[in-house]
Amino acid sequence: MKNRKRITTLGLAALLMMSAAAAAGCSGADKQVVIYSNADDEAVEAMKHALDGNGYEGKYLIQTFGTSELGGKLLAEGTNIEADLVTMSSFYLESAQEQNQMFQDLTFDAKPLEAYPAYYSPITKQEGAIIVNTEMMKEHNLTMPSCIKDLAKPEYANLISVTDIKSSSTAWLLMQAIVSEYGEDGAKEVLSGIYKNAGPHIESSGSAPLKKVRAGEVAAGFGLRHQAVADQAAGLPIDFVDPAEGNFSLTESVAVIDKGDKTSSQAMGMAECIIKYGRSELQQTYPLPIYEGETDDAANKSAYPKVFPEKLTVDLLKKHQELSESCK
Amino acid sequence: MKNIKEKELKGIYALVIGLFLVFLLVPILLLLGKSFECEGGLGLSHYVDVLTGKGFLAAFGRSLWIASVSAVLTTFLAFILAYTIHYTNVPKGFKKFIRLAAVVPMLLPTITYGFAIIYSFGKQGLLTRLFGRQLFDIYGMNGLLIGYVIYTLPISFMLLSNTMSFIDKKFMIVSRIMGDKPLTTFFGTVIRPLAGTLAASFVQCFFLCFTDFGIPASVGGRYEVAAAVLYNEMLGSVPDFHRGAVVAMCMLIPSVLSIALLRYLEKYNIRYSRISEIERKKGPARDFCFGLLSGTILTGVLCIFAVLFIVPVVQEWPYQMHLTFRHISSVFADSRLVEVYKNSILVAVLTAFLGTLTVYGAALASARSRLPEAWKAVIDAIALVTNTIPGMVIGIAFLFAFSGTPLQNTFLIIIICNVVHFFSTPYLMMKGALSKMNASWETTARLMGDTWFRTIACVVTPNAMSTLLEVFSYYFVNAMVTVSAVIFIAGARTMVITTKIKELQYYTKFNEIFVLSLLILATNLAAKALFGYLASCRERKNKEQK
Repeated sequence: MKNRKRITTLGLAALLMMSAAAAAGCSGADKQVVIYSNADDEAVEAMKHALDGNGYEGKYLIQTFGTSELGGKLLAEGTNIEADLVTMSSFYLESAQEQNQMFQDLTFDAKPLEAYPAYYSPITKQEGAIIVNTEMMKEHNLTMPSCIKDLAKPEYANLISVTDIKSSSTAWLLMQAIVSEYGEDGAKEVLSGIYKNAGPHIESSGSAPLKKVRAGEVAAGFGLRHQAVADQAAGLPIDFVDPAEGNFSLTESVAVIDKGDKTSSQAMGMAECIIKYGRSELQQTYPLPIYEGETDDAANKSAYPKVFPEKLTVDLLKKHQELSESCK
Repeated sequence: MKNIKEKELKGIYALVIGLFLVFLLVPILLLLGKSFECEGGLGLSHYVDVLTGKGFLAAFGRSLWIASVSAVLTTFLAFILAYTIHYTNVPKGFKKFIRLAAVVPMLLPTITYGFAIIYSFGKQGLLTRLFGRQLFDIYGMNGLLIGYVIYTLPISFMLLSNTMSFIDKKFMIVSRIMGDKPLTTFFGTVIRPLAGTLAASFVQCFFLCFTDFGIPASVGGRYEVAAAVLYNEMLGSVPDFHRGAVVAMCMLIPSVLSIALLRYLEKYNIRYSRISEIERKKGPARDFCFGLLSGTILTGVLCIFAVLFIVPVVQEWPYQMHLTFRHISSVFADSRLVEVYKNSILVAVLTAFLGTLTVYGAALASARSRLPEAWKAVIDAIALVTNTIPGMVIGIAFLFAFSGTPLQNTFLIIIICNVVHFFSTPYLMMKGALSKMNASWETTARLMGDTWFRTIACVVTPNAMSTLLEVFSYYFVNAMVTVSAVIFIAGARTMVITTKIKELQYYTKFNEIFVLSLLILATNLAAKALFGYLASCRERKNKEQK
């Protein structure tokens, strides 16, 4: 009996020590800069290469999240966030800044083509496009769509997938296109038709339509253009169409968290490094130029790049969400 | 008898309550409080907003309906499985298979389920291809139902099987000798002692379905449920924690009803002084029927997961079907994977230790003490509340409560979060087991001069060992597969394998997700095998001692 007691005591002691070690293990003294990012892995790779090649190897730790999780963290944690540096959808950074005043002004000027707030600088610009599964198109005798409005045609009933602007910003690219082309009332009509056709395939994740197109669940969808380009290059039966309404775009940007005295001394340098040395590789996946002197590769260029006439703000997004809800 | 002080139990009770006060009540109140915050003070404007808004009440109603249907269906199926094990003479090997196969879904992260369903029953799915046509439309009610049933089957099975093993089967003989009709015997000696557990199973399954977001996200289609509304409010493209808090608050309402239901059914719990193994009556027809039913149920479940093994080893399902190990090797080429995997194991083991201690303490205090009924009701309420709060809400609540404290970004906070989040099922299992044991052991031991701790260590614990091991393995397995809460509190240095899956999901790398799911499955199977071995060692030892 005594033996068992001793074992139990030992076990408990070991457990306590392990917990203590687990708790202490993370407050370790290594001052690696922590980077949180919602970027895709091509972008993350490009950023890593830029940092590693310019003296920052081993001095940072990069952690990726989905847009909504990282957004939640930014809004809820404010400057208490573990990260020193974030890369994130720009309009999210704007609402986080508005709510928490959590980013420092950047100390470098990368000379962007458009004006951006002082506390962030874009790393990528992404466009929307119509994505089709060529096998499914053949199987269902569908004509290739030329614009977003085509997806509202009855022949696409139950054969398309789009994202819901309520949960994904990719849908915003579609909304901007139809609102700017057809006005709010016209957009309602088109969107109602699209939602009717999409039926069960109105998705909450921005990459879900491509997934469904890839898996042959639907014939066409609206998603991120560069992902479709990559799928096609990989030999999948995927094709993409630049919609006549326009290829609208959203940017993702880098920002430095303002932690007062505790702000990492290297974070700003890394932010600059990512823009300065990372952009050339980033452009291979996200070809749109952002800064002065960047080339505009004709082969990878979308047909109808456009910019929404109003400034992209959270308020505008809310307005478009309400418009979308009224079409369901 | 009244003057027995039960100091030890009071101490344990205080510890358990303290844990949940700090790590459940405070964070959740902080979050739910946001539902009352309005411009310029407190008010109900967010409630008015949400409740009069389009769709919420309808989604809420749909959630109640589908969660109830799923819970009834799951409990029924789980009953068949458990009955086959405990009341029929199907071969021993087959019983082992049932025990294992019934819990397989639990060993996989829920993220995997929805996609397994799509890749099985979808237009290009594996089963669709085998049958040559799509069997049914998977989006909406059908998909949700399948997803929910698979998701909750293991829990329901564990609860029922656990209680059945504590039912004295001799009463069946007694009943039969007394001349009862078979149906009367069945209701009197099987269903009645099980009533509490059946209800518990229903409630557990109901809330698992009610709060799960992963399954509706992938196969819900236009059938919008409350959990999806919650996700959109909390983490949509314009997150609004105020409105989200309102939805979370509404989702707590059913738990109040269920507390009342379980308390009412409490009186049906029966204690047997000893559990005797009996020679089961021969019944080849019965054995065949239940064997066949169980086999069919489990084949159905396993079929859906078959794609997990196939999709990762083909180039690109369903269009490039040649064999490749590229996806598997690309997963293992990631240098951070080993680190993340080690983190997962550490978190799972420590969660299991701390969780088992917490559950054992709580169950002792509520099932084997003379503490006032109201005190015990508090623990039961905690168990139900942990069950009814969606993981996402716990995660966000922890974010608000512990940001800026030394706990932020530690493994400890993940472990505590898991212990709190998964408290409910193991607590019910433990409480069930403890309350089925003879109630007079402690009193007898005390009269003979033994201390309470000695009685617990020498009498109660050895008898509860198989359930303790099950609780341990439940916590371990769940800590391995959970993601909804952990995603918010895991830092860059404390990432676990499921958060890695979440990253991959974001990149739509399904092949890799399936590979990692299989890695988790393998780990959990190994753990299960180990716990099973330990349990059988114990049993052998117990028999030798006798």
